[in-house]
Amino acid sequence: MARDETFGKVMEIIGRYAKNKDAIEGATEDTNILEDLKVNSARLVDVILDFEDEFDIEVDDEDADAVNTVGDAVTLIEAKLA
Amino acid sequence: MTDLTRRARLALWVQREVGRVLSVFWIPASAFALRYVMGYRIKNVARLRKRFRALMAESDEPVLICANHLTMVDSMLVAWALGGTWWYFFHYRRMPWNLPEYRNFTSLWFGRAAMWITKCIPIRRGGRREHVSAVLKRIKYLLSRGETALVFAEGGRSRTGRVQLDSIAYGMGRITSSVRNCRALVVYLRGDRQRTWSTVPAMGDSFYVDFEVLRPHSERTGMRRSREFAQQIAQRLVGMEEKYFARRK
Repeated sequence: MARDETFGKVMEIIGRYAKNKDAIEGATEDTNILEDLKVNSARLVDVILDFEDEFDIEVDDEDADAVNTVGDAVTLIEAKLA
Repeated sequence: MTDLTRRARLALWVQREVGRVLSVFWIPASAFALRYVMGYRIKNVARLRKRFRALMAESDEPVLICANHLTMVDSMLVAWALGGTWWYFFHYRRMPWNLPEYRNFTSLWFGRAAMWITKCIPIRRGGRREHVSAVLKRIKYLLSRGETALVFAEGGRSRTGRVQLDSIAYGMGRITSSVRNCRALVVYLRGDRQRTWSTVPAMGDSFYVDFEVLRPHSERTGMRRSREFAQQIAQRLVGMEEKYFARRK
């Protein structure tokens, strides 16, 4: 799967939980999921579990701890799919 | 087994022991402030403490206190309500470690010092995941060593005045699912005059406090297991809140 395609799916999932809908439009890989997109930290686990379902991967807590930006999420998913 | 470095373990040991030595000052001072300065009162306190002390005497298994959160002194109130004052001198490991929001207490040096002495590990809620994870690792280590910790089931103070299931703290599920034999002590605390969230409860308020022991379970693994644990704890808290409001009618 191309990185752009992964990015698009990641943004689609994060978009369900983001409170800052305006920031979704201009999001890049450097966009911080909690601070910029205003995803509630309590919801971040739901985002990660949606990644698991969407990409058929398993993410543990240690992996999830490294996810701060959209790019981190894309990198994690690509590594799991490799 | 622990994920903590030797240095981190030593730092926690020093913090605990210095706090323990100074506890002859800070525990009575805290209780005095709550009881006589603020005029707070815990309803049925003798029966509550008897239950709590009996529970603690039953087993050495780790206990994570999971409470609702309406004011900034809830952790002090819960510790005082459950254990009293003198009992903690002899059961210092049962004085819960707390995870206060970093920004609320660390602007002045004496705030930082007071936090350090009183078994607090500051956390930046919603902060970088590595930081949150490092704090949770310290709490897991402490629980595995027989210490007690307190977390708020909703992470922050409830903005509605009721337990908010949509903002439950995943961390409490992560801790209880990964610390062997960890029990959740679900605590519901509420002042009679507490309508919604605030900085401190009204002076002279009387508090209803109740607790139930929960051993969360799940057939799942990984993050889904932790999430189910957190949901079960939060659901229990909601049930306790419903019981509280039903009694008030």
